[in-house]
Amino acid sequence: MGGIEGFIFLALQAIVSGILVGGVYGILSVGLSLAFGVMRIVNFAHGELVMYGMYAGVVASKTFGIDPLLILPVSFLIMALIGIAQYQIVFRHFVGHATLQQLLAAIGCALVLQMIAQIVFGADARTATSIFSGQYTLLGPLFLSQAQIVAFIIAVAATVAVTVLLRSTAWGKAVRAVADDLEAAEIVGINSRTINIMAFGLSAGLAGLAGTVLVTYFPTSPSSGFALMPIIIIATTIGGLGSIGGTFLGGIACGVIQQLTAILWNSALQDVPLYILLMLFIAYRPTGFFGKRSE
Amino acid sequence: MNTSAPSMTASQDNGGQTRALLFALLPVAAVAILPLLPFVNDYIIAATVRALIFISLGQAWNVVAGIGGLLSLGHGVFLGLGCYTTGILFNHYGIPPWIGVWAGAGMAAIFALVMGSMTLRMRGVFFALATVAMSLAMVQLTRHFVDLTGGSDGLALKFNGNSWWAMQARTPMPFLYGGLVLVIVFYAITRWILGSKLGLEMQAVRDDETAAAAAGVSVFRTKLTGLMLSAVMTAVAGTLYMQFYMAIDPDAAFGLSQAIQLQLPALLGGLGTAWGPIVGGALMIFLSEVTNLGATKLEINGLDILVYGIMLLFVVLRAPKGIVGFFMDRRRGR
Repeated sequence: MGGIEGFIFLALQAIVSGILVGGVYGILSVGLSLAFGVMRIVNFAHGELVMYGMYAGVVASKTFGIDPLLILPVSFLIMALIGIAQYQIVFRHFVGHATLQQLLAAIGCALVLQMIAQIVFGADARTATSIFSGQYTLLGPLFLSQAQIVAFIIAVAATVAVTVLLRSTAWGKAVRAVADDLEAAEIVGINSRTINIMAFGLSAGLAGLAGTVLVTYFPTSPSSGFALMPIIIIATTIGGLGSIGGTFLGGIACGVIQQLTAILWNSALQDVPLYILLMLFIAYRPTGFFGKRSE
Repeated sequence: MNTSAPSMTASQDNGGQTRALLFALLPVAAVAILPLLPFVNDYIIAATVRALIFISLGQAWNVVAGIGGLLSLGHGVFLGLGCYTTGILFNHYGIPPWIGVWAGAGMAAIFALVMGSMTLRMRGVFFALATVAMSLAMVQLTRHFVDLTGGSDGLALKFNGNSWWAMQARTPMPFLYGGLVLVIVFYAITRWILGSKLGLEMQAVRDDETAAAAAGVSVFRTKLTGLMLSAVMTAVAGTLYMQFYMAIDPDAAFGLSQAIQLQLPALLGGLGTAWGPIVGGALMIFLSEVTNLGATKLEINGLDILVYGIMLLFVVLRAPKGIVGFFMDRRRGR
């Protein structure tokens, strides 16, 4: 293959695998965006919920010999319950204001959750295997991981499901009403407390589901949550805090930029363009591509 | 209004002022005579030095977060700039830390200027997110430029034995006095800021940006000045950190758990008060030493971080004004 053809091939490979990885970044971030959109809560511990979702996959796979992909609903439910507990203990005090105190409380949650994971599961990296783990497919000239393809499909399905839930159901309408104008929503008889609890549960459940999907091709350790937070934050900011579809596309953008940098430049610096992009977005377009005015 | 400047209660009468001065001299004297006490060994002195360093770092963060109300989660960047600049200048060029400290402070000021110009027009969350991104980018960059920074392994200072010129010592004792001087100077700076026009403007911006702007305060310039001042203080304390620990690595400099250790002294003690970081820093190091002792016995790693997390949650949920704020409210009979 000639120089230019080789370059095009590498770029194509980077873009396709970037889209696959990015879809999972998208579903990792959708929950964070949802919690912000409805309650103005920036949950810095979102990554920790993802990490627990990853460990749920590890436990299913290694302890019970069950395919992690089969326990997705269980993982969703467990994390939703942990999320609701987190909301009841910490975040209900901060609904409506993304303040300094709220961010600090979230960081406190993150530290506690991370250290509990370290005490329970140990500090070493752990893996889980689904039937697709370690399997590869040749698509034309492209070399693709089956686990990543399946993860991408699940991510798209989950994002579509959440969007439909928020757009087309009565509950979704109530959630959007609370997000738009809390007082007006209460006047027309919506119980904002219940709505908030359930929305936060959904946000945390999505984190758990995303984690369990991710662990089929990416090992986990107690620090995985912190390690994933930058990507989650960047995807959410680029796409627009509070916009579900925008956040998902933000995740895909992150994946593609990251893979292009890694394959065409230097894999050790794969995240640096993302950080620069984040700074630019924060400076010039803090609501992202699809976000509403957020403060 | 929660402008809780300690000077307001202390300067009401002369007797109060004298009492306040005595009250302030007591801990200084206690630290100064520490090495003379019979039961004190190098372990206790080293722990005290750690406390003094984190009090200084906490005081620097207090300027931007406590007085200015800006949640910088990336102050590790300035700590790292202080550490790495001093260390690289010494290891590669033989320039002593006495000069390196100013180079580090200058780097931090420039960094704060650039970063602040880009992000300070944004409110709360976005500024915080930008500071996180900044420190994570720094982690990757320091890992990448191995020749200069030592990469992931970190940078260890060349050891010269006891040397004034190289600001190095075999025992922690000289750092005890160095740290004490730094804490006093930073305390004085914080008191000065609290009483100055700049400090009043910073507090006005913190409490209500719109009202401050309406009253003629240049919001952006005030925030930027506060951030740069705090960055310089952090980098100066970073040099002491480097000379005491003799080594730095990307995670220790820019990692999120380090950033939290920089914040806890002010949060525990009381944001926006000059005494807060001092009380909080002492408490933080004391608690972490105790938990580490317990953790070694129980063979659990990372217990100190768990304790930090619980402390953080407790302060934010139950005592948002910290220990100093709690007692000041009681003195005012609230």
